Amino acid sequence: MPNTITRRRLLAGSAAAIALPAFARAQGAVKPRLTVISQWSAGSDGAAITALGKKFEEKGGIWQHSPVPGFTTEMMNKLRAQIIAGDPPACSQLKGPEIAAWSKIAPTVNLDAVVAAAGYEKVVAPDLARLHKPEGKWISLPLQIYSTNMLFLSKRAMDKAKADKIPVTWADFNDLAEKMKASGITYPIANGGTRPDDGQKFEASFAGMSPAAYRAAIMNLDEKALKGPEIKAAFAQVRKIADWMDPNVGAQPYATNLKRFVDGDMGMMIQGGWAQGVLRNAGFKFEDFMIAPGPSDNTRPVFLLNADAFIFWQRSEPDLQAGQTLMAQLVMDPAIQTMYSQITGSIPVRTDVDLSGAGWSDGQRRTATALKDAVANNQAVLSLAHNMAQENGMTAAMIDVITEYVKNKTITPEQAVARLGEAVEGAR
Amino acid sequence: MTDAVSAASSRPAISGAVRRLPEYLMIWVPLLLSAGHIVSFALWTIWISFTPSTLVPVSGWVGLRNYTAVMATRNWHIAFDNLLLFGCAFVLLSLVIGLMLAILLDQRIRGENVLRSIFLYPLALSFVVTGTVWSWLLNPGIGIEKLVHDLGWISFRFDWLVDRDMAIWTIVIAAIWQSSGFAMALFLAGLRSVDGDLVKAAQIDGAGPLRIYRRVILPTLWPITVTVIVVQLQFAISTFDLVRALTNGGPGIATQLPALVVYDLMFQRGLLGRGAAAAVLMLLILLAVLLPYAAWRYVQRRRLTHA
Repeated sequence: MPNTITRRRLLAGSAAAIALPAFARAQGAVKPRLTVISQWSAGSDGAAITALGKKFEEKGGIWQHSPVPGFTTEMMNKLRAQIIAGDPPACSQLKGPEIAAWSKIAPTVNLDAVVAAAGYEKVVAPDLARLHKPEGKWISLPLQIYSTNMLFLSKRAMDKAKADKIPVTWADFNDLAEKMKASGITYPIANGGTRPDDGQKFEASFAGMSPAAYRAAIMNLDEKALKGPEIKAAFAQVRKIADWMDPNVGAQPYATNLKRFVDGDMGMMIQGGWAQGVLRNAGFKFEDFMIAPGPSDNTRPVFLLNADAFIFWQRSEPDLQAGQTLMAQLVMDPAIQTMYSQITGSIPVRTDVDLSGAGWSDGQRRTATALKDAVANNQAVLSLAHNMAQENGMTAAMIDVITEYVKNKTITPEQAVARLGEAVEGAR
Repeated sequence: MTDAVSAASSRPAISGAVRRLPEYLMIWVPLLLSAGHIVSFALWTIWISFTPSTLVPVSGWVGLRNYTAVMATRNWHIAFDNLLLFGCAFVLLSLVIGLMLAILLDQRIRGENVLRSIFLYPLALSFVVTGTVWSWLLNPGIGIEKLVHDLGWISFRFDWLVDRDMAIWTIVIAAIWQSSGFAMALFLAGLRSVDGDLVKAAQIDGAGPLRIYRRVILPTLWPITVTVIVVQLQFAISTFDLVRALTNGGPGIATQLPALVVYDLMFQRGLLGRGAAAAVLMLLILLAVLLPYAAWRYVQRRRLTHA
C-alpha cells in the first residue's frame, strides 16, 4: 500500500509538472472550482464558511464544501481516507504543527507567488507565519485568530467584591480572587472540566509569568526550561486556580457555568476569545462582563495564539488549481477576513485591519491591540491546549499530566514538573 | 451388482446434498465472509503495530518498540488497573443482581411481564444515552446530591463522579444498570427450565424454599452463569462509549480504559502504530478470557458425550 501511494504521488507530481504550462495558458478559460473539507457545519462557524463560499461564487467560482461535523479528529479521518485514496480535497481545514506533519504524507501547493503578490508576509505574526510555511514555503494560510488566555470578569461578582480594577499581573489576579472569596463567592473561577480547559489554565499561567520560558519549554521543548523555576511557579499558580474552581463541573464544558458567572456566583474566567460569542449567543449583554488580556507579570500583554487555517493539497485539474489561487487570494483579503471574524467573533490574521468600525466589539478591539503589542514585544506565543505549539501526540502527552494535576490535589508542582518531563521524553 | 448398489445408495446422498445446498450457502458464505473480514483486519492491525506508522500506515519494522512505548505510559497503566477493577466489579455485581432479580421474578408474581420488560429495557438503550443520563444524575451539582440537599439533608455527599478515586465506580453503576437485565433474562430462562419433578421431589423430602434454591436449582444454573460471565467480560473489556459519555476518562485521566487509549492514540494523537499495539494488547486480554472458556466448553462437551 505505501508503495502505491508513492507511485501515485510521483504520477500526480509529474502530471502536475506536465500540465503546468498548459494550465498557465488555459487559466483564463477554466472556471475555478474548489473542493473543501472542514468541520465547520453549524453555528457561527458554519455561517462564516458559507459566507466565504458565497464570495467565492461571486468571483465566478464553483464552491464544493463538504463539512464533517463533530470533533476535528473526525474531519482528519476523512482527510486521511481521501489522501490514502489519492484523492485529497483541493483545500482543507488544518492547523498548527499538524500542517507540517500532514504535508509530509501528501504533496501540497506552493503558494509563495500568490502570497508575495499580496504582500501578506509582513502583516502576519512571525510565529504564526512559520507554522504555515514548513520548510520555508507557504503551503497553507491562516484564516482567523483567537487568543486562548483572555480574562473574563463578571460585573456582578466585581460589584459584590467591591472591586473595579482589572487585574494586570498574577498577583493582582490572586488578590482579586481572594477578595471575591471573602465576599461570599464560593468559586471565584468559572471553568470547564475538559482537557483543553485545564491546558488553558496552565498555558495562561506559564506564558503570563514568563513568555520566554514558555517559548523555550513548551514550543521548543528545551530540557532546561522544562525543569526551570518558571514552570514550577506556573504549576503552583495552576494549583491556586484549581482550588478556586467548582470541582463539580466534572468533564463538562466551560459553557455550563456561564449563567453562574454572569449572575456573580462565579467571578472570573480564563477562556479563549470565542467565549465572547458564546456569551452573546446565550443572550447575555456586554454590560454583564468585561474582557481583558490574561494576567502578565511584566504587565505587557501576552498573547497565546490559536489560529484556524486552510492547507492546499496538490491537484492536477486546471479548474481546481485556478480555484486554489482564487481561494488563497480571498483568504488573504482584508475585506474577507473582516467579514469572517465579524461572524465568528475572532480577530483577523492581518495586523493591519482597522477594527474601529461598528461591526467589531470592544473585546475584539482589545484582543487585536493585545496581539499587536505582544508581537512588538515578542510576547505572542503558540497555544499548547489548542494544538498550536506541538503536534497532537506531544500535546496530548503533556495535557495528560496537566489535567491530572488540576484534578488531583495531592500532586505537588515538583512532581508535576518531573512527570511533564517524562511525558515529553516518552512522546518524542 | 456392486455398482448398482453403490449407484442406488449414492443417488439419494447427492440429491440430499443438492437439496441442502441453499442452506450451506446461506450459512457458510456469510460466515466465511465475516470471519475473513475479522481475521484479515486483525492481522493487518497486528502488522501495523510493528511498523513506525503515524498519521497514515507505512511499511517498516520497529519490533516491539510500539508495545514498550504504550506500556510505559501512565495512561495505559491506569487503563489496565481500571479494567481489572471495573471488569471484576461489574461482572460480579451484575451477576448477583441479575440472579436476585430472576429469583424474585420466578415467584409467579403478578405483573411479571411488565417488570421483566422494565428490567430489560435499559438494554435497548445506547450506551451513549446511558452514559449521558448517568453523568447528569451523578453530577453533584445538578443530580442526586443536589436533590437530597434540596430535600434538607445538607451534609449528604455523593460526589463519586468528580472524585478521582471513586469515579470508576460510577461507570460500574451505569454499566450494571444497563446490563443486569440481560443477566436476569438468561437466569430466568434457566430457572424456568429446571425440571419440575426435581423441585417436587425435594419438596417431598421436606426441603424449604431456600434449601431448594441452594441445593437443587442453583447448581443447574452453572452453564448459564459461565455464559453470562464471559459475555459480560467481553463487554467490559471493550467498553468505550459508556465511559466516553459518562466521564470521558476523567477526572483528569482517572477513568481511562484500554479502548479509550486505543482511540486516543490512533485518532487524536495520530499515532497509528502505537494505537494498533494497544489494540493488540486488548485482543490478548480478550483471549485470556475466551481461551479458558473455549477449553471449558470443550471439556464439558467431552463429558456429555462420554456420559
